[in-house]
Amino acid sequence: MTVDQISSVADRPRSTASAGRGPAADRPRSSMTTRRHRAFYMFTSPWIIGFLLLTIVPMAYALWLSFTTFDGISPNWHYVGLGNYRELLNDSVTWDALRRAGLFAVTSVPLSIVAGLGLAVLVNRPLKARGVFRTLLYLPAVVPPVGAGIAFKNLFDQNAGATNGVLTLFGFDALGWLADPYARYVLIMTVLWGAGNIMIISLAGLQDVPRELHEAARIDGASAWRTFRSITVPLLSPVLLFQTVTGVIASVQTIMPLLLAPIASTAGTTTVPQSNYLYMIHVFAQYFALGRYGYASALLWVLFALILIATGLIFKFTSGVVFYNVDPEAKK
Amino acid sequence: MTATSLNPKPPVRVRIRVNRLVLYTVLVVVTGLFLGPFGWLVLTGLKTSAETAAAPVHWVPEVFQWHNFADAYKLIDFLGYARNSLIIALIYAVLVTLSSAWVGYGFARLDAPGKKTLFGILIGSMMLPQMITLLPTYLIFAKLGMVDTYWPWVLWGLSAAPYLVFLFRQFFAGLPRELEEAAIVDGCGYAQIFWRIFLPQSWPVLSASFVIAFTWTWGDYIAPQLLLSTDRTTLAVAVMTSYVTTGGQPVTNLQAAGSVMYVVPILLIFLIAQRGFVAGMSTSGLK
Repeated sequence: MTVDQISSVADRPRSTASAGRGPAADRPRSSMTTRRHRAFYMFTSPWIIGFLLLTIVPMAYALWLSFTTFDGISPNWHYVGLGNYRELLNDSVTWDALRRAGLFAVTSVPLSIVAGLGLAVLVNRPLKARGVFRTLLYLPAVVPPVGAGIAFKNLFDQNAGATNGVLTLFGFDALGWLADPYARYVLIMTVLWGAGNIMIISLAGLQDVPRELHEAARIDGASAWRTFRSITVPLLSPVLLFQTVTGVIASVQTIMPLLLAPIASTAGTTTVPQSNYLYMIHVFAQYFALGRYGYASALLWVLFALILIATGLIFKFTSGVVFYNVDPEAKK
Repeated sequence: MTATSLNPKPPVRVRIRVNRLVLYTVLVVVTGLFLGPFGWLVLTGLKTSAETAAAPVHWVPEVFQWHNFADAYKLIDFLGYARNSLIIALIYAVLVTLSSAWVGYGFARLDAPGKKTLFGILIGSMMLPQMITLLPTYLIFAKLGMVDTYWPWVLWGLSAAPYLVFLFRQFFAGLPRELEEAAIVDGCGYAQIFWRIFLPQSWPVLSASFVIAFTWTWGDYIAPQLLLSTDRTTLAVAVMTSYVTTGGQPVTNLQAAGSVMYVVPILLIFLIAQRGFVAGMSTSGLK
């Protein structure tokens, strides 16, 4: 029920109690300004320091490691310059893992956005008990990855899983869902299971679409699909862009393949089926199965660069398409 | 009246009713599919070991093995792991909520040279995959001897989370300017203004932030897996890795029962805190 009332924290009613105070009250004095400046840094320093120590320093450390053969134990490490990066370019396992990760991103992200948007449109209709539907559809998105992994492992079990139960009921052969080549589809389904997240965010966007626009379109005789395509989607496009970017970033760092493997381990080399051996799993394998910190750090930096490029490209290609509705209320 | 019944098309009212029927059917089927995996997890948790291995699937357990839940609780030190999860999640959620509110206030109500750049970095850092920084961070924590302690969560908590900072910033920026003006004229410090005036106003965001941070940490698998030993680790790691026989074979039914007990608290928290949770999620998405 409460999912019904999505209200942005930013548009709470503003108090007008002392609106009578003139501009004279906030005439800046130089000592006040310095105090404000100093206060700004006092308030933001926890994040600044934390960002430096827990993000910049580790990233720099990884960059330095990527030029070495460091393995955490052996004292006989040495600098190899760009050797790790050269090896990476010639490593077919790395390329295959990267290709799989790319394929996973370009399938799972659009599919889950379409699913989430579809659900949002469905539960935005005036229905009885739509609050209940919204809650139930969103619920899987709150299930932690470990819970999702175990649930899907049981659902797609070759012998005792419900999916193969249904397949054999209709006369099909049972499939080895958690092994090659089907494991990749199970992985995508775990992402789709969390589409309620996109549903809720799109729903908030849908409710912001001015009613007059829909009414005008209906009077002009536009079909429901046309209205959706030409009014709803453009108005939702900033939300969809945000979902695309965060979706791609989430997909490259997913550890779901480790959780779907028969025996969970961070080493990840032996138990993850080939088709789920994504780039991040390759990084884990290099780190923890082989202890190749240097090479794994080079892999991480390459991934970082690729994500920057991908994000840049997404913004570039959508800059003409994404429509930012300027809310006149917001300017007040 | 007669005009409508002469119309070859079904009357509008009937068409609407059919449409609604289709809509409800679709919704019920889709909702069923979404609840399916969790329902199957519960059913698996109630089966015997033989039933979880049998080739023709047992849709419903012959006898509901309710004692599986008690067994799952006993096979691993469930309470101990749950306590570890709770401690870590509380440490992180309390600290990160306060630090993010503190930083969010700075970005919302104060300014200084460089603020724009810093805010840009803050927003940009939301897009930095945490897994990329986590692995080298783990190596550094290992060097500093902080592996197998809860210090990493204290440090992460103290350094604020960009996403939550953004939530607080949005909230504080929407409050009226008069709120702090009188206090400034009276010579109150900014820290006092934050504690006495702004923080008490922000209950909706504080609770949303707390719930979000708590569920993140409760759900996190990889950080505790890397940083904590088998005894001090969290429920997420234990449920994933500890339900095995001495021979290393997974105990499917008890693991399912254990994971139900691991997931249900999060579902309950969500159902209770739904409003703030969802408002928080959707605001951030509308950036």
